[in-house]
Amino acid sequence: MNIAFWIISAVAVLGAVLAVTLRNLVHCVLALILFFIGIAAHYFLLRADFLGTVQILIYVGAVAVLILFAIMLTHNVTGVDGPKELLGVKWWSGAAIAATLAILLKKAILSDPLATLLPAGDKAQSSVAEIGKALVAGWVVSLEAIAILLTAALIGAVVIALEEIQKS
Amino acid sequence: METIYQLLHVTFANVPAWTVQVAAFLIPIAFIFGVYPAIFALTTLVERKALGRIQNRYGPNRVGIFGVLQPLADGLKILLKEDIVPRVADKFTHFLAPVLIVVPGLLVYLVVPVAPGMVAVDLKIGVLFALAVGTMSAIALFMAGWASRNKFSLLGAVRAVAQVVSYEVPTVMAGVAVIMAAGTLSTLTIVQRQGGGILNISNWYVFRPWGLVGFVLFVIGGLAESARCPFDLPEAESELIGGYHTEYSGFKFALFQMGEYLAGMAMAGVTVTLFLGGYMGPGSGPGLVGSLIAMLWFFSKLAGMIMLNIWIRGTWPRLRVDQLMGFAWKVLLPLALVNIVAVGFWHFLTPRPLAWVVTTGWLVIWFLVLTKCNASAILEKREYRYV
Repeated sequence: MNIAFWIISAVAVLGAVLAVTLRNLVHCVLALILFFIGIAAHYFLLRADFLGTVQILIYVGAVAVLILFAIMLTHNVTGVDGPKELLGVKWWSGAAIAATLAILLKKAILSDPLATLLPAGDKAQSSVAEIGKALVAGWVVSLEAIAILLTAALIGAVVIALEEIQKS
Repeated sequence: METIYQLLHVTFANVPAWTVQVAAFLIPIAFIFGVYPAIFALTTLVERKALGRIQNRYGPNRVGIFGVLQPLADGLKILLKEDIVPRVADKFTHFLAPVLIVVPGLLVYLVVPVAPGMVAVDLKIGVLFALAVGTMSAIALFMAGWASRNKFSLLGAVRAVAQVVSYEVPTVMAGVAVIMAAGTLSTLTIVQRQGGGILNISNWYVFRPWGLVGFVLFVIGGLAESARCPFDLPEAESELIGGYHTEYSGFKFALFQMGEYLAGMAMAGVTVTLFLGGYMGPGSGPGLVGSLIAMLWFFSKLAGMIMLNIWIRGTWPRLRVDQLMGFAWKVLLPLALVNIVAVGFWHFLTPRPLAWVVTTGWLVIWFLVLTKCNASAILEKREYRYV
């Protein structure tokens, strides 16, 4: 626990809160990006440099951009004209479910041996090599399964696009 | 940074430790903030001069001798201009976009080594960091285009985001080839692996069959990601006025120019690091003289890459949107994937001549196959004559 942890956490929480409370959908996504970057900073703080970079590459560089793109191409979804009541019944029921989930998750996480594990500390070792070895040695079946899934998704996207081209 | 820290620690043994630490932080930051924007200012002048030469005119030649003070005059002029924000614009996002656009370009320089041991942060995953941070510019471009509430701005932003996302894939894949060959993600180690050989030159990755292909892919991807000609569709003047920066004026506009150039130069710097041997060259090595020569080599190569960009801008026409997308997904991405297999051949075939033959053959065959598959997209040769 140090100062950097609290600053980064404050920024990340601010981003998360703004992402769910702002009225404009584009502003929400920008706040979500702030949250993603905060999480990436946490990974860097924990010396998980690979995870932090991948967080930026995937979540900021791809997922957030994809969301923005979807918003941009959809007509009139800025959300400014939506319902105005914020603290209605729906909000309270949602908050109750979220709180229950948070308590359950906290119990589950704390009962795991990983929770008491300390970060690698100042031994700024690279985690890339370890992750790579684990992927191609221990988890090769899972890796291949994901590869096949992604290839299928890619081919599916091309097939859908081809159908649209043939129609027009 | 660790190297600078140790150097300072040894040289100034009797000053408090925290001053040394702060200085070790500040020196690389000052270097990045001082040197690269200065190169940017010079590049604007060189670009205008070179484009003038290509188009048979003089270019700026009024301010100072041969127009060398033109960047200063430009900067002063742009500071004095009125800052106009559209009434319907989303004020906060409109203000934030030009600020954010400069950040990714500057962050990339953190991992670009300029001399032996001289890299701001020797990240273990430097290459990945450079590629990841470079893609963040898409968000700033989107913010600019969306917040302006102008159809041309939004169209420019849509084009910019689509382009950056598409060209990110082949660029990263081209980088993977180098990562595989070097066996590391650290930029400093990658440069060290390219040393030795004849005159410190023959081991540059660009002089390998897969390296040459990767170099071309990376340069094209870099041009596209920094929206430089011939991929400057997001700001195509004839179609979109100014694209995403249509509604920006004064210094905010200058920040967009700066961000674009800094990102382009950063991609050039990463290209030099990955393929052109970074600071490696005849005479570069440890020690003061070797380091200075190494720095000279790095910045010469950077200048060469910038000149290549200007040359391309002056001579090539802009692509159409469908050509742009087709080129990325049908040519560059397959070629990048084939290139990764080529590195595999290079790594495992033991007698070097055999590896050369197999890798080159593999790449040439696939290049011909891809040309054949994309035959319908290749334009007929046209000739324009001045009668």
